Amino acid sequence: MSPRKRRFEFARVPAQVGLGLDERLGAATVLRRTLNKVFPNHWSFLLGEIALYSFIILLLTGTFLALFFDPSMTEVVYDGSYTPLRGEMMSQAYATSLNLSFDVRGGLIMRQMHHWAALLFMASILVHMFRVFFTGAFRKPREMNWVVGVLLFWLGFLEGFAGYSLPDDALSGTGLRIATAIILSIPVVGTWVYTSLFGGEFPGTEILPRLYIVHVFLLPLLILGLITLHLALMVKQKHTQWPGPKATEHNVVGVRMVPGFAVKTTGFFLLIFGLVVLMGGLVQINPMWLFGPYKGEVVSAASQPDWYVMFLDGSTRLMPDWDLTIGPYTIPALFWPTVVLPGVLTMLAIFYPAIDRRIYKDYEAHHLLQRPRDVPARTGLGMMAISFWLVLTISGGNDIVAEKFDISLNAMTWAGRVGLLIVPPIAYWVTYRICLGLQQHDREVLAHGVETGIIKRLPDGRFVEVHQPLSDKPLEYTGTPVPKKMNKLGALGPAIRGFFFPIEKPAPPPAVTPVSPADAPRELEEAPPKQ
Amino acid sequence: MTFGLGRMRRTLRRLGSARVPAGSSRATAPRSRWRRRVGNAARMVVALLLVGGVYAAVAPGVQANVASEPSADQIAEGKAIYDASCITCHGRNGQGVEGRGPSLIGIGSAAVEFQVATGRMPAARQDAQVERKPPRYTREQAQAIGAYIQSLGGGPELPDMTDEEIVAGGDIANGGRLFRVNCSSCHAFGAGGGALSSGKFAPSLMDSTPRDVWAAMLTGPQNMPVFGNNQLSPQEKRDIAAYIYTLQTDPDPGGWGIGRLGPAAEGVAIFLIGMVALVLATLWIVGKQQ
Amino acid sequence: MSSEQHGPVADPNFDVDDPRNTRFDLVREGLRRDGMEIAYYEPAFPPGRKSKVEKRIERSIALLFVLAGLLAIGFVVAYIWWPWKYEVGANAAKYYTPILAATLGGSLVLLGFGVIAWAKKLLPHEVVIQDRHEGASPYEEQRLTGAAIMNIVDETGIRRRPILKAALALPAAGLGVAAVAPLVGALIKNPNEGHPLLKTGWHPENNGGRRVRLTRDDGTPIRPEEVSPGGQMTVFPGIPGGATNKWADSPVLLIHLRQEDADRLRASIAESQAKLEAGQKVARPVVDGMWQNFVAYSKICTHAGCPASLYEQQTNRLLCPCHQSQFLITEQAKPVFGPAHRKLPMLPLDVEDGFFVARSDFLEPIGPTYWERPVEISEQEATS
Repeated sequence: MSPRKRRFEFARVPAQVGLGLDERLGAATVLRRTLNKVFPNHWSFLLGEIALYSFIILLLTGTFLALFFDPSMTEVVYDGSYTPLRGEMMSQAYATSLNLSFDVRGGLIMRQMHHWAALLFMASILVHMFRVFFTGAFRKPREMNWVVGVLLFWLGFLEGFAGYSLPDDALSGTGLRIATAIILSIPVVGTWVYTSLFGGEFPGTEILPRLYIVHVFLLPLLILGLITLHLALMVKQKHTQWPGPKATEHNVVGVRMVPGFAVKTTGFFLLIFGLVVLMGGLVQINPMWLFGPYKGEVVSAASQPDWYVMFLDGSTRLMPDWDLTIGPYTIPALFWPTVVLPGVLTMLAIFYPAIDRRIYKDYEAHHLLQRPRDVPARTGLGMMAISFWLVLTISGGNDIVAEKFDISLNAMTWAGRVGLLIVPPIAYWVTYRICLGLQQHDREVLAHGVETGIIKRLPDGRFVEVHQPLSDKPLEYTGTPVPKKMNKLGALGPAIRGFFFPIEKPAPPPAVTPVSPADAPRELEEAPPKQ
Repeated sequence: MTFGLGRMRRTLRRLGSARVPAGSSRATAPRSRWRRRVGNAARMVVALLLVGGVYAAVAPGVQANVASEPSADQIAEGKAIYDASCITCHGRNGQGVEGRGPSLIGIGSAAVEFQVATGRMPAARQDAQVERKPPRYTREQAQAIGAYIQSLGGGPELPDMTDEEIVAGGDIANGGRLFRVNCSSCHAFGAGGGALSSGKFAPSLMDSTPRDVWAAMLTGPQNMPVFGNNQLSPQEKRDIAAYIYTLQTDPDPGGWGIGRLGPAAEGVAIFLIGMVALVLATLWIVGKQQ
Repeated sequence: MSSEQHGPVADPNFDVDDPRNTRFDLVREGLRRDGMEIAYYEPAFPPGRKSKVEKRIERSIALLFVLAGLLAIGFVVAYIWWPWKYEVGANAAKYYTPILAATLGGSLVLLGFGVIAWAKKLLPHEVVIQDRHEGASPYEEQRLTGAAIMNIVDETGIRRRPILKAALALPAAGLGVAAVAPLVGALIKNPNEGHPLLKTGWHPENNGGRRVRLTRDDGTPIRPEEVSPGGQMTVFPGIPGGATNKWADSPVLLIHLRQEDADRLRASIAESQAKLEAGQKVARPVVDGMWQNFVAYSKICTHAGCPASLYEQQTNRLLCPCHQSQFLITEQAKPVFGPAHRKLPMLPLDVEDGFFVARSDFLEPIGPTYWERPVEISEQEATS
C-alpha cells in the first residue's frame, strides 16, 4: 500500500476511495467478477427487463400518488375543480382521486403513468413468459424460477386489481361487486370469507382501506421479494443462450456486464420510462371522472376489467347457467369459470416443466435454448394455451366487439362458447404442422443449399432452380437458424449493416478469430499510463 | 308578433314624403329637390333598419327550429311530405299498415322530429333496429311532418327551445348523476353506445343534438324505455341534455381518449403501442446474437 | 462430469506489477481468473486521430443529448407556467398533460436513444466466453456438507430425545395457530349475524315496522302516474340513507308495462301459482307482486351482482351488461340467455296514500347464489 501523499491531488481521489472501501470490505475480487459477468446477447432476453423497469416506475409513481390519496369510504361532498361532479356525494377515495386528477399539479399524468406502467408490467410478464416457454428456458435447472415467475404473474394480477379498485369509481366498484359474487360462490366457506373480508355486507367501509394496505405494502413487499429471488436465481444459474458458434452447454457467450450490457440496459430503461411518460400524457387511461362514483345501481354498458383480468370476465360470460344442487346446498355456475379455471390453469403452468420432461423424456439440465420449431409438441401446446386465452379475453369484450362490428351479442356469446372448444385443438394441429414444415425446410436447405432464385432451363426442357450449397461436406442441424437467403450468413448476422437504411458498403465478414492466451495479444492501446 | 308589411310601407311612405311648406326657398330649387330625395332615401333606410332591428331582436331566430304553434302552412307542408314518403308504411291517415309500419296516432311531433331529423325515418328496410343515417329531410321539414302527425292524434311535444337554450339552462352535475343512473347502462359512460340483446344496440349519442336527446327520452324510440315528464321533469331532461353536450364538447384532459371505451381499448393500446414499440426497441438494441 | 473446468486456466506466474504488461494484459488476466476468456475484441474506432465517421457519430449522439436536455428544461417550464386548472370546454389547460408527456417523454426517449447509440457505435465489439461452473457441487463437497448437516442434527440431539421431539410439536402447532389467529380472528365476521344476505333495505324493521315506500334517489316517494307505460325507474327504499351504498343490495327496477305485456306477466304468475299448488316443479318463490300494470324487480343480477339495467321495452328483456344475462320481464324475470340461473326476485308492490310501498321484503335472497342459499324466505320473516 503506497503512503499518503501530503499534497491533495484530485486525480487520486477515486483510487483513495476505492482503497478505503477495499480495506473495509475486501471486495476487489467479487467486484471484478461482477463487472466482468458475461450476458448473452439476444433481443428476446430483454423482455423481462421491461417488467422489471415498469415495476420500478410503478414504485416511483405510486409513492407520489400515495401522498395524495385517501382510501377512506366516508361520504363527502365534492367541491373541487371538476365542474360536472361538483356537489355530488362520493367517497373520500373517489374525491381524492379526482383531486389528484384535477387539483394536483401534474397529478393526472402521474396517475396515468402509474396505470399504463401497470398494464405494461403485466403485458411484458406475459410476453416474457411466452419467450421462456417457447424456447425451453424453464427446463432443469430453472424450474424454480419458472414457478417464481408464475407466482409473480398472479401477484401482479392481484396488485393491479387492488390498484384499480382503490379510486372507488363505478367501473371498478362493479368489478369489486363481481369479486364478492366470486367469493360467495366458494362452497362451504364462501359467505364467511365474504363478510370477513368486507367487515360485513358489501360494500361496507372496510374494503378500500384494506385493499390499500394490500396494494401499497403487502403485495409490493411480496413482489419485490420474488423479483429479488427471480434475479438471484438467474445470477446464480446464469442466463440461457442460443446455440451458436462457440456456445455450448457449459459456457456463456456474450458481452461483459460493464460496460456493454449495463449501458444498453440503462438506455433501455430510459426508453421504457420515456414510453410510459409519453403514453401517460398522450393517451388517456381510466377516465374515472366519467365513470362517476361507485353506486350499487349504476353500471355502464361495455364494462370490462383491466385487460389481464379480461380472460376471467370472458370465462364468466361464456359459462352456461349450470348451477349444481346438492341437497339444500348449491354450487353456483360462477364457481367454475372464476375459481376453478384459474386454479387449474395455474397448476398446469406450475407443473408444466415436469409435464415437459415426460413428453420429451428429457431429464437433463439444459442451458442452450431450443428453437420453437424443433419442439413442435411444446410449441403446439403453447399456441393452444394462447388461443384458449385469446378466445376468453376477446369474449370478455364481446359486447364492444358486437357493437362496433354490428354482430348480435347473443351470437358473440355462442361463438365464444363454441370457439373455446374448437379453436385450441385447431391451433395445436396447425402449429404442429407449421413446425414440422419449418424443420423440414431447414434440413432441406442444409442438404441442398440456399435457393438462389435463378431458374435454369436444362437441355431436355426441365426447369430447375439453382441452389447455393452451404458447404462441401454434409451439414448437421445444430439448433441454430439456417440461412435461407443469399445475403444472410445465418447465426453470424446479416451482411448488410444498418437498421433503417442499408449502409452502402457491405461490411467485411466479421473476423471471429479465437484469441487465446497462447496467441500474441493484440496491441490495442497506447503505452500504459504512468502508475 | 305580426308586423304587417302593408302598414310598414305606409309608414315609410309617410316618413319619406314629408311635406315641404309652400313658399319655402327650398321648395323648387333643383339642388333642394335632390336633397329632398336623398333625405327621403336616408329616412327610408333608417326606418328599415329600425324595424328590421326590432323585428330581429324580438322575433325568434332563424336557426330556432322551433315549431311554436304549427301554422296551417306547416301542417300542409308536413302532409305533403307525408303523403309522398311515409304513407306507404304508415297508412293514409297515420293509422299504420299491417306488417309494414305502426300507427302514428298519438305518437306526437317530438317522436316524428326525432326519427326524421336523425335520418332513421324513412326507414330503408325492416330490421331488428332502425339506424341513424344521413337524413333525407331538413329539421324544418321534420318539424312540419311532426306538426301534421300532431294534428292527427296529439302526443308528446318538444318544448319551445333551441339547442343552445336547452344546454344553457341545464345543470351538468345533476345531469351527470341522472345520466349515470338512467342512461349509461345502455349508452355507456362516455355516451358511445352499447350492445343490446340479439343484434340490437343503444346508439352513440356523440352526434345527437339536445333536441334529439330530449325527444328520445320523451318518446322512448324502439327499445329505449319511455322517460315521461312525470318521471324526468323538463328541467331534469335539460340537465341530462346539457351533460351529454359536455361529453360531446369537453376535450379529454388526459390526451387521446381512444374512443372512451374503457379497459378493453386500453389493453389493445398497451400491446399495439407499448409492446410493439418496446419489442422493436429490443431488436434495435441487441439484434440477433452475434 | 459436472464439475469439470471448461474455461481458461489462470496463469500462476502472472506478475501484476510487471511494467511490460499493458493494462489490457491485466484485464485479460483478471478475466481468466474469473473463468472468462476473450474470443473477440475490437474497439469501435482505433485510438489516435478521430476519423470523420467517428466525429459524426459523436456529434449526433451529442445532439441527441442536447435535445433531450432542452426538452427536459421545456418540461420544467411547462410544468410551472402552463395553465393547468380544469375548466369545462376547449382551453389551453386541456393540453397541460399532453405537453408534459411530450417534453418529459421526449427527453427520456432521446436520452435513451443517445445512450443506446453510444453502446452500439462507440463501445468496443466483443465476444467473451464465461465458464458456467454449472451443475451439482463436486462429490467431495456434497459429502462434506452432508456430514456437517447430519452432525448438526445429531448435536441438537433431537433424534436421541423423542420425548422432546414429541413435546415440541405442541408449542409448534400452538404458536403456528397463534400466529395466524389474530389475522383470522379479528377479521372473521359471521355472515349469519343480522342476516345481511337475507334482508335488504325493504324490510319493515328498517322503517319502524311500517311498510317501506319506494323513493327516487333524493328520497321523494313515487306515484304510479310518474312512470309512463313502457318506462322504467330505479327506485330505493324510503329509509334514511336508502339510496346510498349502505343499502347497495336494495335498488329496484320499477317497470310500467303496456297492457298486453302486463297481461302476459299476470298469466305467467297465475300459471306458476297453479303449478305450485299442483305440486309440480316450478321456480320458487312465486310472488304475486304486481300492482295494476306495474312490477318491480331487484336490480341486483342473480349471476354476479351487477345492476341488471338495460330494459328493452319492446322485447321486454332486461339485459345485464356485465355478462349478458337476459331476463324476460313478462315471465317473472326468468333468465332466457346467458350465465344467470335464477330469476330476479320480485318486490311485492302496493299503493298506500297514492304512493308506492313494498308489501314486504323480498321473498328470497337477492343477488348471486351462495352455498347455503335458501330457496325462499317466508312471508313472516320478510315482514317482521
